[in-house]
Amino acid sequence: MSLDWLDAFLVSGTFGVVEIVGLGLLLHLQVGLTRIANFGVVGFWGLGLYTFGVLYVQVDWPFGEPWQFLFSALAASLAAALAGLVVAWLIADLDSDGALVGTLGFSAIVLILATTQDQLTGGALGLGGLGFPYDLGTTKANELLWLALMTALVGLILGYVWWVHRTPYGRLLIAIGSNEPLARSMGKHTTGAKLTLFAITCGLMGLLGAMHGVMVRFLDIGSLDVGITLAALAGLILGGTARVWGAVIGVLLTVGLFDIVIQFYVPLPQEWFTQAIPVLREAVFGALLVVVLLFRPQGLLGQMRRSKLIRAMHDG
Amino acid sequence: MDRPARLASTDEPAVDRDVAAQHVEGPTTSGHHNVVAESSGRSPRRPGRTTSILVAAAVGLVVLASLSDFVAKSLVIGATENAALVLAALGFALLYRLTGLLNVAYAETITLGGYFAVWLSSSLGWGFYAVVLPAGILAGLLSVGTYLAIFRVAKRRRVGDLEMIAMSFGLSIFLRHGLQFIFGYQVQFFDIAPPDTISVLGVGVPSFRLLALASVALLSILIYQFIQRTRYGLQIRALASNEGLAQASGVRPLTVTLLIWFVAGLAGGLAGAFYGVGSSVSPLLGSRQLLLVLLVVLVGGIWDLLGVVWVGVATGIALTAMTLQFGDGLYSSLVLIFAFLAVLKVRGRRLTAGTKV
Repeated sequence: MSLDWLDAFLVSGTFGVVEIVGLGLLLHLQVGLTRIANFGVVGFWGLGLYTFGVLYVQVDWPFGEPWQFLFSALAASLAAALAGLVVAWLIADLDSDGALVGTLGFSAIVLILATTQDQLTGGALGLGGLGFPYDLGTTKANELLWLALMTALVGLILGYVWWVHRTPYGRLLIAIGSNEPLARSMGKHTTGAKLTLFAITCGLMGLLGAMHGVMVRFLDIGSLDVGITLAALAGLILGGTARVWGAVIGVLLTVGLFDIVIQFYVPLPQEWFTQAIPVLREAVFGALLVVVLLFRPQGLLGQMRRSKLIRAMHDG
Repeated sequence: MDRPARLASTDEPAVDRDVAAQHVEGPTTSGHHNVVAESSGRSPRRPGRTTSILVAAAVGLVVLASLSDFVAKSLVIGATENAALVLAALGFALLYRLTGLLNVAYAETITLGGYFAVWLSSSLGWGFYAVVLPAGILAGLLSVGTYLAIFRVAKRRRVGDLEMIAMSFGLSIFLRHGLQFIFGYQVQFFDIAPPDTISVLGVGVPSFRLLALASVALLSILIYQFIQRTRYGLQIRALASNEGLAQASGVRPLTVTLLIWFVAGLAGGLAGAFYGVGSSVSPLLGSRQLLLVLLVVLVGGIWDLLGVVWVGVATGIALTAMTLQFGDGLYSSLVLIFAFLAVLKVRGRRLTAGTKV
């Protein structure tokens, strides 16, 4: 089947949007439900990306694809999950200030290790040699299938988040976010719940990083800057931190607008796309965070239905 | 010491001062009330023994430096090269301890200090020493501007702690990238003659780094004296301890808060100028230092503002010593981040809670 009608950049742009939706959904569980300030999303994502890349390229695997990809991606997810567990243990009894420092510190450690361990990671020069675990004949076809697989994975994450909202575990996370000492006084094991939450969500962030590595086929320390965290956070906060669909709506309106609509459908001078548009994108995301939190902190979708019901019961 | 009546505000809502006075005269022996009580006439706290111990340790290090070349280099280069870190941490700590806000956008106050200094230097043709203070003042004014335009509005709208941090993160990103539209995308350098080198303990140090160190010492003393000894300092601590009670006692919150933001911005701006003249000025200038500043503030804040200064100095010396040993500054940063995170874990909630007044 000919894919000439399809713009390759549109595939990679859409892949980026879907990926940020996934990160935003996971961040929703951490920030929206449990109210743990994770400003180090890029650290967990980057750990997955680099663990996958290094294992995929540097290890002489005794078997071929797709096992090489599957083992590397599994190891990347486990590494990110373990890191999530350690970071959660570190910040479990800290307030938002401590959580900020702990998560930022972790992302800085990942960046430093990726830079200094250049024999493994390629350091500032980067590392190539990553590839798809299949071959459909053309790069565009491979990327399109990879986009479909990524969409399926993010769909599963959406399903998981939706499921968490309807389980006792999800209600415990909401209780921790609302009043942790109260939840603890009711006999709930809040620390265990937070550790479990971070292990699962950070492991999935690592898996998204591994998927990203396959798509870009290159490890670049430039990708470990604050951009990924900002995009996920801005989208989540615009859509609504407390709602399942908040990250989806918010990321479509932010990253989708810049990386797809402006990139492909707004006729701007080509030279703007090298510096002006990326810089403007980050500045707008930053401003958006300020404006939304000032004037509509609950985001476009508003509060949880549960909160609305409780308020309605109190009012009437 | 002034009496409460003399501290009375004219532009704040009227309050029942008798009731306030009863509060102030009430449980003042411990907790938040004692600072408010001080602001209304009680004697201020005395500095602890920790400072004396740290001064003794510093003297001991200087003696050791005269015996060992490695110690001398670590001490001199560490203290002078990282003086800007101490300045930045001092300003950040002032804001954090006294307003309770962990302002991520403080990184951009540092960056702007660097940009203002370069801009003043290139547009007016002035030397570095002439532009450093105006650059700090401009950064201080911008700091006040961000408070009035954003954080004051947020406080009035009762934005939560986590949201406040996210907002300051957003402001940081906005300023970091917005600056590039104003000052350009390119890294900027000071167009100045190479500075004189002065020998300290046998180690050559550029003169502007000594100026940075002198600024740190001067500003630390001034801020400490200001916070601990002056009427405004007492009002600042009273406001930080119990805002409602402080207002009821006649403290003018707006004036005092603006003062805090200005002094913090001034310190950040000076730090940015010193960072910039030491290397270059770029949009990432402040954000590259932010994590270290945060960690120094949290760990040093276990004691008081002087604790921040001492931990900042010790961090600078440790960074230099490890860089001399490992040959790579990134490894030094890695070790320090791990060490600070370990402290964060050991101290737990007491750390972040204790660093606020």
